[in-house]
Amino acid sequence: MPDIKRIKVGTASCGLAAGAADVLDAFKRLSGDIPVVEVGCIGHCYAEPMVELELNDGSSIFYSSVKGDEKSVNAILGLTGEGRFQVPAERAALEKLNVTRLSGRIDPKDIEEYKANGGFSSLRKAFELKPEGVIDAMKRSGLRGRGGAGFPTGNKWSFLAAKKADEKILIMNADEGDPGAFMDRSMMECVPFQVMEGMLIGAYATGATRIFIYCRAEYPLAIKHLNIAIAELKKQGYDRLPGREKPLDIQIKEGAGAFVCGEETAMIASLEGKRGQPRFRPPFPTDSGWNTYPTAINNVETFANVPVVIADPDAFAALGSERSKGTKIFALAGDLKYPGLTEVPMGITLADIVYKIGGAEPGSVKAVQTGGPSGGCIPADKFDVKVDYDSLKELGAIMGSGGLIVIGNNRCMVETARYFLDFTHRESCGKCTFCRVGTTRMFETLENITAGKGKPEDIDFLEDIGNKIRKGSLCALGQTAPNPALSTIRYFRNEYEAHVKDGYCPTFQCAALSDVRLDPDKCIKCRLCIKTCPVQAIGDDFKVDNAKCTRCNTCMEVCPKKAISRVKKGDGFSSNLSK
Amino acid sequence: MADINFILDGKAVTAAPGETILSVATKNGIEIPTLCFNGKVSRTTACFVCVVKDKKTGRFLPSCSACPSEGQDVDASSEEVREMRRTALGLLLSEHTGDCEAPCTLACPAHASVEEYVRAGRQGDFKKALEIIKQRIPLPMSIGRVCPRFCEKDCRKNVTSKPVSINDFKRLAADLHYEDYMEELPPLKEQKVAIVGAGPAGLSAAYYLRRLGYASRIFERMPEAGGMLRYGIPEFRLPKATLRKELAHFAKMGIEIETGKELGKDFTIESLRKEYQAVIVTVGSWASSSMRIDGEELAQQGIKWLEGIASANWKNCANPGRTVVVGGGNTAMDCARTALRLGGDVTVVYRRTQKEMPAEQLEVLEAMEEGVKFEFLTAPLALRKNADGKLALACQKMELGTPDASGRRSPVPVPGSDFDIVCDTVIAAIGQRTVAPEEVNKDKRGNIAIGRDIRCAEGAVFAAGDCVTGPKTVVEAVAAGHNAADAAAAAMEGRSYEIPAIFNVSRGHWSSLEKSDLVFLREVSDADRVKPDYIPMEKRRTTFEELFPTIPAEKIEKEGERCIECSCTAKGECRLKKFSEQYCAAPDMFPGSKPLAAVDTRHPYIIHDRKKCIRCGICVKTCSEIINKNLLAAMKRGFNTQVGTAFDQGLQSYCTDCGACVEACPVGALDWKKKA
Repeated sequence: MPDIKRIKVGTASCGLAAGAADVLDAFKRLSGDIPVVEVGCIGHCYAEPMVELELNDGSSIFYSSVKGDEKSVNAILGLTGEGRFQVPAERAALEKLNVTRLSGRIDPKDIEEYKANGGFSSLRKAFELKPEGVIDAMKRSGLRGRGGAGFPTGNKWSFLAAKKADEKILIMNADEGDPGAFMDRSMMECVPFQVMEGMLIGAYATGATRIFIYCRAEYPLAIKHLNIAIAELKKQGYDRLPGREKPLDIQIKEGAGAFVCGEETAMIASLEGKRGQPRFRPPFPTDSGWNTYPTAINNVETFANVPVVIADPDAFAALGSERSKGTKIFALAGDLKYPGLTEVPMGITLADIVYKIGGAEPGSVKAVQTGGPSGGCIPADKFDVKVDYDSLKELGAIMGSGGLIVIGNNRCMVETARYFLDFTHRESCGKCTFCRVGTTRMFETLENITAGKGKPEDIDFLEDIGNKIRKGSLCALGQTAPNPALSTIRYFRNEYEAHVKDGYCPTFQCAALSDVRLDPDKCIKCRLCIKTCPVQAIGDDFKVDNAKCTRCNTCMEVCPKKAISRVKKGDGFSSNLSK
Repeated sequence: MADINFILDGKAVTAAPGETILSVATKNGIEIPTLCFNGKVSRTTACFVCVVKDKKTGRFLPSCSACPSEGQDVDASSEEVREMRRTALGLLLSEHTGDCEAPCTLACPAHASVEEYVRAGRQGDFKKALEIIKQRIPLPMSIGRVCPRFCEKDCRKNVTSKPVSINDFKRLAADLHYEDYMEELPPLKEQKVAIVGAGPAGLSAAYYLRRLGYASRIFERMPEAGGMLRYGIPEFRLPKATLRKELAHFAKMGIEIETGKELGKDFTIESLRKEYQAVIVTVGSWASSSMRIDGEELAQQGIKWLEGIASANWKNCANPGRTVVVGGGNTAMDCARTALRLGGDVTVVYRRTQKEMPAEQLEVLEAMEEGVKFEFLTAPLALRKNADGKLALACQKMELGTPDASGRRSPVPVPGSDFDIVCDTVIAAIGQRTVAPEEVNKDKRGNIAIGRDIRCAEGAVFAAGDCVTGPKTVVEAVAAGHNAADAAAAAMEGRSYEIPAIFNVSRGHWSSLEKSDLVFLREVSDADRVKPDYIPMEKRRTTFEELFPTIPAEKIEKEGERCIECSCTAKGECRLKKFSEQYCAAPDMFPGSKPLAAVDTRHPYIIHDRKKCIRCGICVKTCSEIINKNLLAAMKRGFNTQVGTAFDQGLQSYCTDCGACVEACPVGALDWKKKA
């Protein structure tokens, strides 16, 4: 095995979920003297487990979907293995890997490797710039908070810097909770030192004396890597900022899984040991935050951006659109070929992300949900929109933290809204009337519609109460919770009307409004469906009895001829009706 | 820091630094409702009932927490703002479970405070009970005897056993204290009201007018007052000596009753209008409906027949012999039982079955016990007189067909089932209709038509009772008379009047509840319902003596122990109800599920009814910030968020019974168990 210098196995959560632990184990057993290291994720989660062979000539070979068996591993070690991976040229041309440059390329636990790749050079530069210079650079770069609201980070820092107090607090919001979003997790798992460098720069610039990392407990690997990073930073004295007597107090607080704790005032309450529920602002946290001390909260991705910004604020500002600078990391999920992470310049079109990066088949996509459960859907005919904070808002969606869920043509939009409202109405902290009760009533109405019990007036009701919930909620959770319903009504009203007026789900996804039918012309009588049906709903006459059928779709999946499909309610056979 | 100048409802106002919009509004006489803010604990900003609108940004702000900014233009009273508040209240109501008012009180047409007078009775204070009763029922002696007991039909005790014998509390309280109880009456005003008809509705109107300070004069066509109580309801159900005692009280109150004066003969509405400031028409519903069969003229008309017997004071009346009573209502039962007592051999002919009879089932059963026979599913076809002078009622058997619009199954004839009943007397008691005076509005059925303002003609002319509704019960007439009194008083005072709408949240009708749904504030007796001691059957069959004597106090007090006391402990103090009434928010605005929440009655004095909680957080903060106890905290998330105690050990474990949370709770979620 002459040319291999080092073997890197991606063991971020996405890799581990795909079986990277076995792969790692196999390489350690079979690679002889070649060192095997664990790295994070390069964003191509769909291709996990991934292995990178660093060659002596400085080049690299990637392998995707690697299996942990001896034969496959030996083949790779002999450079003959299948599954050589290359980022498609079209995608590579669109991506701009600034913040994620080191993600998946270095050992996240190794401070020296981070340093060897330029790590902490921005921190050193920050010390030269002095706090005012750092804040000035931050402002000049135009970086806006990556958590969703898009508040200019430099301004927020300047508010905290201007405060005189015994203690000042800087919090990293790592309570990433949107379904389908995993940018922050990936940053913490893959480049924890980069994230911490951003925090140290922030603490230096703002005069913060204490750092909290509020991370959801469901991210054990991220917490492990952060703990390693913090211990290493303390060991090497990075917690001692110039001109400070005391070292920085750095703590990780594991959140108990409440979505609302991503809201800054709820997070502060939780850090104070209270129930995580938001409070009215003002006072803003920079005036009175954790235990009344001035406090600033930034998102993980924002901090991960900071070293990039400080390295060259003007280069950062040169990227992106007029009011949204730099790059943005998006988590792609849903009905597309390449789920995973991508980093692109702000202002890229949604079409480029969905089709060229995500690999979704043009024509197969109905909409994209941005911003998670608080966001809105954007229909495919609006995919030429430039993705930045302001233009997404105009379409009734939000940038949010960067989750992009692609919704295929076969998805029911009422069901999609129901799904998101199911999440948000459960995650309401339960304090404010409009959010606690209003979102529940919206969810119940959507559930009725998808269950075939909708009434024509339900659509107006959803719009009316949805707008009132937006106006009458204290925090962003309630203010945005109606968005999935409101935006799907805005763009897909016809689907709602079909449900409530015609008792018809155009995608046949709503089980209560659809039947299952076997097309005898396509059927080859192989009996696979009869054998696999869990409720014996398919008789020897090859008819699906919809009175028995539970709409589990198993028959449709096993049918080799695709002879079985969902049809309009009443178009299938039912033993009840044929009497 | 300098004061902040801003605009509130178009008016320039000033706020001190840190002062909230709510505080400035209150100082400036603008009322903004709030539930979660009480000024004693830190703000929670939860209910959003206090929202105002920032007119420049279009944003809605919780005024309890938002401080105004310089130059801000705040809208605190527009329809849009009110609609947001109404929505917030409606949403709160949609998750709120409880009983503002007890089902018995709501079921009572007069809305007498049943729970309260039963409690007074349970405690042995029947004078207080009578005082409560007379707030809504001016004829408790009579109604205590003849009421069909709407209250008992809705009594929650029905979930586990028989209802509380509510009406007997009324009867006993009236019997015990009628003589020594006198209302506090305000001095008389100048205006005077004329009332036509001294039946329950007219008497009730006169009574409540007097309590409002208005004199009235009742004109009655018959020789004695009482209307249906005197001339319709037979002696054995309501002894006339008792009625006279009841009516004597009206005279004591200064109410004038002029008998033997008939509308249309001795005076007209127009003539009354000239002399009085308001007129209330309560002429009843005294004309018999026709059987629409040949030979009808050979039959007695039920109500007329009863009137005749009553005029003779049930003395020296002829034996009607073999008697057929046609009809299934209360008048039919009264006719049958009267004829029986006069020595008749009585059969009731009714075209449907016993189940469909509009008469009170108790009266049907009593009639059966006494020996009245029933021919169900039988309809009269014709009446003729045989040569021997006997009457022959030709009848036809019926069977029940499909349900009609009212849900009752209509009878249809069975072909070839004709038969004759030979008898001496036929009494037709199939219904009554109103003979309305010329000068008032009428509806399609010939009853007097009134609006929501109770008026039946131009000016201050009102109507109430059977003449408006057709034949109904005494308690309904009394309720209508009360409304007419209020309407007349309003007219004389230049105010507008509408029948007040009742706001109520309910746990549901007893038929939809199980025992586990009931909330007990104290140990409630499981004993059987008290039974009256009927007079011997022989006497019931042959005399007009009252069916049973008034049940004695010791038995009634014990009966009171059976009452569950369903109404809300916070009745009269609930801010959610108060604001919901103000903003016309209703419990059915947002139908949907209720949160999962339990009622905790483990504390000896305090009930924690989480089904009523509005999640304002005041109790949590009162216990932690004022009492320094931290016994309460919010638990769970989303719709099922609720206030709980550590490890659900209950308040009683550590609570010092200070009651601060109880006093602070804006609704009845935390309250004293003991009711006043």
